[in-house]
Parts: sequence; C-alpha cells; structure tokens
Amino acid sequence: MNENQDHINPPSWSLRLLRLFIRKDYLEEIEGDMEEVFYDDLETYSPGKSRRRYSWQALKLLRPAIIKTISGSQKLNYLGMLQHNLLITLRGFKRHKTTFLINLIGLSTGLAASLLIFLWVNDERSVDTFHEKDNQLYWAMTHFELTNNLVTWDYTSGRLGRTMVENFPEVEDAVWIGNGFYKPKGVISYGEGNYETHGLYASSNFFELLTYSLLSGNAQKVLANKESIVISEETAVRIFGTVEAAVGKTINLETRLISKEFIVSGVFEAPPSNATLQFELVINYDNLIETDKWADEWNGGYAQTYLVLKQGTDIEAFNAKIENFMDDKVNNERFSVFVQKYSDYYLHGKYKEGTLVGGRAESVRLFTIVAILILVIASINFMNLSTAQANKKMKEIGVKKAIGANRLSLIIQFMFETLLISFLALLASSILVYLLLPEFNLITGKNIVLNIREHLPLYCWTVFITGVLAGSYPAFYLSGFNPVAVLKGKISNIKGEEFVRKGLVVVQFTLSIIFIIGVIVINQQIEFTQSKNLGYDRNNVITFRSKGLDRDQVLSFVSRLKEIPGIESSGNMAGDFLWGEDSGSGYWTPQAPENRQHLFKSPKMGYDVIETLGLNIVEGRSFDPKLNEDENRIIINQSAAKLLGLENAAGTRINYGKSNFREVIGVVEDFQYGSMHQAIEPMVIRFREWGSDCIVKLKQGAEVNTIDRIEKLYKEFHEKYAFEATYLEDDYMALYESEEKESVLSNYMAGAAIIISCLGLFGLATFTAERRTKEIGIRKILGASQTVIIRLLTGSFTKTVVISIVLALPLGYLAVSKWLENFAYAVELRWWIFVLAGLSCLVIAWLTVGFQTFKSATMNPIHCLRDE
Amino acid sequence: MKKTKLGEFEELVLMTVVVLQENAYGVEIKRELESRLNETLSVGSIQSALKRMEEKSFLTSEFGEATQKRGGKRKRIYKATPYAHKVLQDMKDVRTQLWAAMPAAAAKLNFLMN
Repeated sequence: MNENQDHINPPSWSLRLLRLFIRKDYLEEIEGDMEEVFYDDLETYSPGKSRRRYSWQALKLLRPAIIKTISGSQKLNYLGMLQHNLLITLRGFKRHKTTFLINLIGLSTGLAASLLIFLWVNDERSVDTFHEKDNQLYWAMTHFELTNNLVTWDYTSGRLGRTMVENFPEVEDAVWIGNGFYKPKGVISYGEGNYETHGLYASSNFFELLTYSLLSGNAQKVLANKESIVISEETAVRIFGTVEAAVGKTINLETRLISKEFIVSGVFEAPPSNATLQFELVINYDNLIETDKWADEWNGGYAQTYLVLKQGTDIEAFNAKIENFMDDKVNNERFSVFVQKYSDYYLHGKYKEGTLVGGRAESVRLFTIVAILILVIASINFMNLSTAQANKKMKEIGVKKAIGANRLSLIIQFMFETLLISFLALLASSILVYLLLPEFNLITGKNIVLNIREHLPLYCWTVFITGVLAGSYPAFYLSGFNPVAVLKGKISNIKGEEFVRKGLVVVQFTLSIIFIIGVIVINQQIEFTQSKNLGYDRNNVITFRSKGLDRDQVLSFVSRLKEIPGIESSGNMAGDFLWGEDSGSGYWTPQAPENRQHLFKSPKMGYDVIETLGLNIVEGRSFDPKLNEDENRIIINQSAAKLLGLENAAGTRINYGKSNFREVIGVVEDFQYGSMHQAIEPMVIRFREWGSDCIVKLKQGAEVNTIDRIEKLYKEFHEKYAFEATYLEDDYMALYESEEKESVLSNYMAGAAIIISCLGLFGLATFTAERRTKEIGIRKILGASQTVIIRLLTGSFTKTVVISIVLALPLGYLAVSKWLENFAYAVELRWWIFVLAGLSCLVIAWLTVGFQTFKSATMNPIHCLRDE
Repeated sequence: MKKTKLGEFEELVLMTVVVLQENAYGVEIKRELESRLNETLSVGSIQSALKRMEEKSFLTSEFGEATQKRGGKRKRIYKATPYAHKVLQDMKDVRTQLWAAMPAAAAKLNFLMN
C-alpha cells in the first residue's frame, strides 16, 4: 500500500451504479469485494487504471443473478396492504369524528359548488357547437365606420352570402336568416284555432347546412319554395295533434310583414337548449324580399349570414381578402366584412371599435376561477386539519417506520386516505348537486340535466385533483417524521409547520373577503341600476304592442284607448323603449358639420309619450296634437343639443341629409334610453303617430280594472292576439337579467366559500383549544380570568384574519373595479364596502372560534388537569 | 446429477470454496482461481457463480469479519453443503469412469498433450 492510497476512492458514479442495481442483500458483500480488489489493484497499477478497472468490473457485475428483479427484492402482498390501509383509515375517521365531519362537509360543499359551476361552464361552452359543420361554420359580420367610431354589426345584406359563394373559392356554401326585427312573429290560423308563434326567414339550404334535425320532410326540399313552411314538433302537436297529421296541411300565417297561406312541408325537432337560435317555424327568406325589397339590397342590413368555409381555410388571410368586399357594392368604404367562428360568437361577441373585447367568456372565466378557488379553500381545510392533528398520527408513523415502512409507502397510504375522503365527499356532493340542480337551473336559466356518462370524467378529474391537492402536503409532511424522535415524543419543526398552516388560513380568508367584497359590489350595482333616477317615470306604467293593424286602425285604437277611465295618460311609439336600438344619422348643423355621420339614438314617438313617461322638457314644447305635427319636427335631448352646438335649440332648424331640414321644437332633459350598459347618448326624437308600441300610465288604485278594460278594447281590435301587457318596471329589471343571475350565483358561491373557510377555522380552533387544555387549566388556577383566556385563544386567529383583511382589500378593489368597467354608469366604490367586508369576516371568524373558546375558558380547571 | 446442473466454471468455484475452507469469500476465491487458472477473472463472474450455486443449494454462506481494506464492509464466507460434496464426488467418479473407458488412441492423445 502506498501512502496516498487513503485519498484514492473508487469512482463514485460506478459505486452509485452498483448501489442502484445490485440486490440489497448482496450489496454489502459485493461492495466490499469490489473495494478490496480496488485496493489490491492500487498496489500494482496507477490510481487511474485502478479506477478504470473498478468501473469495468462494476459494469461486468450487472448480471441477472446479482441485480435487482423488476418487482423489487421481495414480493409484497399489495391487496393485504390496501386492506390494512383501508382499515386504519376507517378507524381514523371513526376516532376523530369532528375532523372527519369537518373535512367531509367542507370538501363536499366545495365540490358541490364547483361541480355546479363546472356543469354551467360546460354548458356555456357547448352553446351552438352541436352543428355537424361546427368547425367550418363562420358568421359573416361587418364593422361599420362612423365619423368618430366603429360599430360592429352581426348582420349583413341578405345578398352577401350567395355572392360570397360565387366570388370566393374558400366559401363552400352560405346560409342566411332574417335578422332581429326581420323574423316572422305572429299567428298561425288553422281551422278555428289561432296560435301565436315565432320563427325565422331562412335561405332554402337552412336545414341542409345547420344541424336542426327534421322529423319529417327532406332537408333539401322543405324550404325549396316560398309557400313551404317547416314547423317545430311542439307547434305541430299543438295545432294538428301529431307530427304526421301536420305535413301537407295548408295554414294561414299572419305576421307584421306578411299574411298568406303556407303548406307544411316538414316538421323539425325543437332546437336544443344550448342553441342561441330558438324558433318554432321556418319559412323561405324570399318571402321577406317579396314584402321588403331592401332585404335583398346591398345597403340593407336584414340578414345574418353564416358561411361554410372549406376545411383548413386560413381565417386571417380570408378576413384580409374579404375586408373590402362591400366597397364597390355600396360605393363607399365604410363597411368591412369579416368572419368569426359561429360557435365562438356566443362567448366572444363583444366588439369595441372593431376589435374583440370579450363577451360572456368573461363571466365564464370568472366563475371558473371562483370554482377553482372554492376547491382550493376546501383543500386547505383538509391540509390544515391533517397537519394540525399530526401528533395523533405520530405514534402510528413512528411504529410503521420502525418496522420498516419506507417513506413512499407512507405517502401512498396518506394519499389513499385523502382520495378515500374525497371520494366520500364526491358521493355526498353528488347528492347535493342532484338536489340543487333544479334550483340552480332556475337561477342560471339553464336546462342542465345530469348525465353520468358525459359528466363522469369531469367528476373523476375534479375529485382526483382535489384529492391530490389536499393530500400531497400532509402526506409529505407526515411521512417525513424521524421515527426515533417521534417515538420518544420529541416533535421537531412544529413552529415552521404552524407558520404554513397560518399562511394557508390567510389564503382562505383573503379569498373569502374578496368574495364578500365582490358580492357587496355586485348587489350594490344591481340596486343602483334599479333605483337610479333614469330621467323618466316607470312607476305604474304598462307597455304592450298592437299587432297586425294598419295605420288607421292603430290611430283609432290609440284614440279609443285614451277614452278609458283609469288611464292617467297614454301614448304610442315605434320600437321598444327599453331596447333603445332605433338609431339614425344625417343630422348636422353648420356649427358642427362633422356630426353628419353621427349615429343618433332616434326613437319615433307619437303624441303624449313624453308626458306619459314624465320626461322633462327643458326648452320649447312637446309634440302637440293641436298643432298637427309631422315628421319634419323633432325634439332633441340635451346631449344632442350640446353635440350639435345649439344654445337655444328650441325653434331652430338643423340640417338633415344633403338638403333637408328638421325643426327642433323642444329639448328634453337627458334620460336613460335602453339599459344602463349603454351610456346616455345624443338623441333625436322623431315624430310618428302610428307606432305600435303603446305606453300607458295607470291611475293609482284601480289598476286591475283598468287593465281589464284595456284588454277588452285590445280584443276588439286584435281578434287573433292575446293581450300581453307588462310593467315597464319589470321589463327594466329584465334588462339586467344576466347581472341578476351573476349576482345570485355569486351570492351562493361566496356563501359556500365563507362556510367552508369557517369550518376550517372551527376545526383549527377546536384543535388549539384541545391542545392547550392543560395550559388553560394552569393559567386559571394561577388566577387568569375568563377574559384573559378568551383573548389568549382568539388572539392568534384575530391576527391571521387581520393579515387576510390587509391582503384582501387591495386585491378586492382591483377585482371589482375591473368588473365595474362593464357598466356605463357604475356605482361608486365607497370605503364602507371594504370596511364592511373586513369586519364581517372578522366577526364571522370570532363567532366560529367563539364557541370553542368560550367552552375552554369556562371549563373547570379540575377537569382538564386531572386526566393524563 | 440430472436435476442440478453444475457448470464447468461453477464446479471450479465450488471446488475452490472447499479448498479455501474458512477463508472462502469472494475476493479470495477470485485470487485462488486466478493463480490456478492463470487468467484474470471479474468479480462479477465469481459472484454470479456463487449466487447461482447458493440458489441451487450447493453453498451456504454467512457474514464474516469486516476489514479496513474493505471499507468496513463484511465478507461473506461460503461453505459447500454436504450435497455439493456428494455432487462433486459423483462428477469425479463419472469422469474417472469415462477416462477408464476411453480407447488407447485417445489415451495416447492424452499422453501427447501432456
């Protein structure tokens, strides 16, 4: 042996190789042999060569007789192991009932809440995707350029579709339907019966290209001619009793635009509930062209056009290609055509200045995040309770490790335990989901049906991810104990671990407070929109529409209406007041000529509408029947006066179009036209005496009688139609349906989050109180009062919650300000919202821990000190 | 003989184990055989032969003392079982009988080779 041999070691990687591959029970001997040979070699060879020889020998050791078998050195009884784990787990559940229940309730509430949301998200995402050609189906839309802004229309000329098929090889086919207003809505008469119904004008290939299944009739032929009508199954059953009886029958359809006889050529199954187009009948689009030639003009925006593009079309390139397609058709460059995937429009349908800015996808994303956060909160409960109660498991772990359990098998055992409890929670939450689903459908306006086959993967994934999320930390933490220390009763690193636990509670409460802030703001905004002074009176005002009357009939109906006692005042206009969609351009003044292209809101009102709605005339006068108004006279609002640069507007004449004039007879104070998502815009009120939307203000006290009288009169004029009057107040509320839904949903979700967080806190409080029983007993004996004890026990929780509040307020502020950006008129974010959210969370936390704390504080110290 | 096959190399190792007696552990067997056969053997070949024979119950083994040279790792001392002795004896007998039965020419060849 030479001197420096002590410093020369066998190459470490070869050693590692040996340790990795050689069977455990042979390792010591072989390693020793190898080392002996190595030091023998060192006497004859250089260290380098000895090392090389060592490595070579090591490689040669990899022989079947020596290396580990694939299944490990021992055959394990896995089934027995699992049985054992199951037994231990179930005993654990039985023994620690409170923990088990808290975990179960927390997890199942969390799972139920998030499963409901996931079901909703799933449904939202499935909207309009049921078409067979879904991936080829694109919606052709237009950006329309105004003087200072760009609006996006989901409608185009009725001609666009077929012209594009002719001009672009990428377009395989096109289908178009009448847009918005241009939909047949009216009455089908057959024999003695009259049936109100609504539907679509559609190109003849409608049933061929879109997947609405026909129960009777040939998809290629049902709409082939103008006399054909295809009706829904329900309509067929309603009118004819059966589907078979319907086909071939002649019916009369009377709508606002047409009234003629049709032959039933087919019956279709009602569109699925996740279709945006809901209709009961379909007739050929040519019927629309026949009554209104604009339906087929380049300048008319009468149709929604859907294109079937060739597989693999590059959409960006295609959009660039078609952008200027309209220019030579309409002789200006204000239209630019583009396409968007049909099924994407539902979720991504909000355009601002020509770029996509979102849509419903935002709420979908928001709620997905909320669902995940709720799961996180529930998982945190599980983690905290498992690690907090680690000392109850320590002995078990110590013994297991001492007999030779390795860390991995312990981790597996704990994960198994978590997965078992999440599975139990899944069962509980499935029952919850099943029970809550009808209510949930009511809130969300959905029609979700539980379908085990379809939703099973979703369920399994949710449970698996929750299980792994909740179980991983405790599993690694618990399995890491040093058996010697644990069995001796020395618990190491408890401090750091408590820190983690508190951190997790902070996360929970931060999220809960953000949810509370969100809920308060959403509710505030809803209330704000409902109570805001809109500039008009919607109290006791009913609206209804007269249908199928000509001009003179409307006039006589309206004048008869005014004679009914019990009506304070009544008027009629064209178009729904609350939708605020009527608009027009061309008004300008020499002071502000650039406004020529400005699109003014321009409702057409008859006499007395302004009075009925209590609009405030600030200058000039309202429309007056004594003065025989005509359409050359207009009333503008203050914003319009400002935009047009008019100081004393009443009595002035403003330019209209190239060479026409309109006389401004009055200025009305700004009022909210349409929903509050729209800002108050410059408005020109045009005059039209025979608008068919009636607005009636009822006298207080005799509303029911008055409505009866109106209905009688209505029946006189409208034999076929039912009288459907609604309160303006209710209609206004309905405008905020989606916010209302969001608000109700978020209320429930925030509730769930808070309940789960508090459950966790309750568990922790129980645990702390339990652990400190002796301490409390000693303190009491030494003279501590109950107040001191209570302060002692609540102190740390208070600190945790206060930290959460500090974190949550800025985050919550950011979140709600982002949400409020959706509204033109948003409620102010006041400081008290944040204070309220923080305080309520603190109070809830106190109440939660209070029960336990109080119990411990009032306990007789004898009881806690006696037992050992 | 039928059931348990003892390979040529295994037989050599087995006999070395018997020869070395109390000193029969991996490296010593290797040294002994190397000097007798006059060739280098790898640890792996010796070890796999030992393990195979232990599996076939020709050998039993127990841990012996640890030396500093082995980095504090214990030796494993191998011992031939009575069964192994019997098999070795049987094989020797078979060989002797075969040698005896060989014709003269072969015997001459044998003589020449020596």
